[in-house]
Amino acid sequence: MAHDARREDYLRMSLRFALSLDEGSPDHAARAFASFGRKFAQDRDALPQSDADRAFHLVALATELLDYRLPFAGDDLVEPLRSRARGMLDEAVSLDPSCHDAVRMRASLDTPSHEERLGLLSERAEAVRMACEAERDALVDMLEEPRRPLASSISMRPWWRWLAEMAECALICGHNHAAMEAAERLLESDPHDLSDVRFTLAYTLVKLEDATGLECLLERYPSLAAPRGADDAWILLARTALAFKRLELDDARGLLASLLRAYPRCGTALAQQVEIGDGLFARIRVPAYSEDELVVALSEGVVLLQEGVERTGKGVFGAWVAKTAAELDPAVPKGAATGMPPRGASRS
Amino acid sequence: MSIRDDLIERCAWKRNQKVGPLSKEAYAELSLAVRENPESFVDEDAERALLLLAGALDAYREASRNDDLLDDDAYAAEHARRLELLRQACERSLSLDEGCLDARLVSEIASDTEPDALATRLARLEKDLVARPDEGEPGGAWEDPFGRPRLRLIAALARTNVDAARFSLARDEASSVVAATLSSGDPLGARHTLMLACARLEDEEGLGATEALFSERESAWSHLSRVLLLYKLGRMSAARRALRGFDSLCAGGAYALLRPVYVDLYLPERPEVPACGFEEAIMAVREAEPIIADVPEFLGWCQGHDWLMASAQSFAERNDLDW
Repeated sequence: MAHDARREDYLRMSLRFALSLDEGSPDHAARAFASFGRKFAQDRDALPQSDADRAFHLVALATELLDYRLPFAGDDLVEPLRSRARGMLDEAVSLDPSCHDAVRMRASLDTPSHEERLGLLSERAEAVRMACEAERDALVDMLEEPRRPLASSISMRPWWRWLAEMAECALICGHNHAAMEAAERLLESDPHDLSDVRFTLAYTLVKLEDATGLECLLERYPSLAAPRGADDAWILLARTALAFKRLELDDARGLLASLLRAYPRCGTALAQQVEIGDGLFARIRVPAYSEDELVVALSEGVVLLQEGVERTGKGVFGAWVAKTAAELDPAVPKGAATGMPPRGASRS
Repeated sequence: MSIRDDLIERCAWKRNQKVGPLSKEAYAELSLAVRENPESFVDEDAERALLLLAGALDAYREASRNDDLLDDDAYAAEHARRLELLRQACERSLSLDEGCLDARLVSEIASDTEPDALATRLARLEKDLVARPDEGEPGGAWEDPFGRPRLRLIAALARTNVDAARFSLARDEASSVVAATLSSGDPLGARHTLMLACARLEDEEGLGATEALFSERESAWSHLSRVLLLYKLGRMSAARRALRGFDSLCAGGAYALLRPVYVDLYLPERPEVPACGFEEAIMAVREAEPIIADVPEFLGWCQGHDWLMASAQSFAERNDLDW
């Protein structure tokens, strides 16, 4: 599923538009809605909106720059892009001091230390949760029944993204119980897992070598992940890593083979294990079962791949994955499985 | 407890079987005589193999004494040469007694392979033993010198599994060695590996239980494991106090943590050093390396404490170490 800032911007505006129409006649509403899409695309400022909506729009623009353009930008464009995005986020916060996404992204943008980021996020977590819940309750009161679920979801998303980043930061810092708690809290608040935090949770359970926990997560998959099955790169890599950690090497090899079946022609990505920067708004959106998705999963999987004492720097599991992928997929070029993992564009 | 000690006990035990039973005093005297001159008590190939191995290990250690004088390249070459000699001795040992588990273990460790490959090979060695039950019971007590090679193997496997990032296996293996040797006070130091693995797995209960078992015997490993566990659990003020404890109770602990020192392979056990001394701190930090690397901002947090930096620096100055 994943978070989509542009789509969310559209949904927010359509909700606001609906609110402005609720007074009028149904006929009028239908006619007005017919023109909403065109106005949104061409004359956004003419639509009813609050400062919070304007702030979120800036968040969506900054997200495009930071999460989707920056990773592909040449060195000379990195600073200009960052600085433009920083300006947008600053403006968003000045328009709406409780634009939690802007506050969070602004802090993360200039805080390379994950411990510090985790500290900031934890400190403000309760306030953010309460603000989002209050927003949801107020909005739901104003809307007709059919629009309530969407309004409720939109109001809570900043909190979900907050928790998802907390879980990811905690995992990177090696606070695995904290990562698990944040992920479980998020799943409790959003049982449909819009944030795909179950991916982070799967890695966390492997870090804790909690085989029972990972089994339970697999059992919860149908309710969390539908319509996706339990064959995404994260859960398959997590299961492979756990089997490898338990020295069940035949199982690990079989699981890696199923990962390659789910992501055909991706042996080279598995062998190279490129590291890319995390999305600041949320995990970046990529097509399901694409090579890009595998790259994102592997990049987050550095915590599993690069662990242990190993001479090439790939890590114990990373070296095994690279070697085994090269054995399983004849298309992997010679040499891709050895040497240091290359680094992709990095944000900090 | 070394392989040589095992050899002496085995010879004394066998002689007692032949001529005894001897009184306690007479047995102690016999043991002394064996220690003085083991060659004259060795009359079977199994003991001959051990004697050869013990001699080769002594020679390895003796040859290592002046390594500080060598530069890095010269050391690497000399080290490789010495390990090769040791492996050859293991082969000779195994040609006398192909069941000499200690020789197999030392030979595997001396091959200086990656932890992952070594762990796999040691695990296979251990599995093969399970298939041959005459080689001593799996959880056999330390008192039986014939069961010790196997416990030594499992302890080495547990340590290797920490390096190979297989912490549950390490915890289970170390825990089984602790259980089998507890009445003898864990002479293999498996509790150290156990505590490190518990810290990495954020297993507070496991670490607490192990600390309680050895409450009067704190070590660089126990102090460091506590710091790491509390840090990982995010209890920062408790972690700071534990760091303070590690610094003040382990000589040179701060220095060892901030300026890790090279530690040679354990062949096949850790060298015996005083508890909570500098050498122990160096070993504990080396063994904790994969765990420390997994908390990427841990060392930065440590360095943020002025008293720790000052302590490390003054230790370096007092002992003429680089800072």
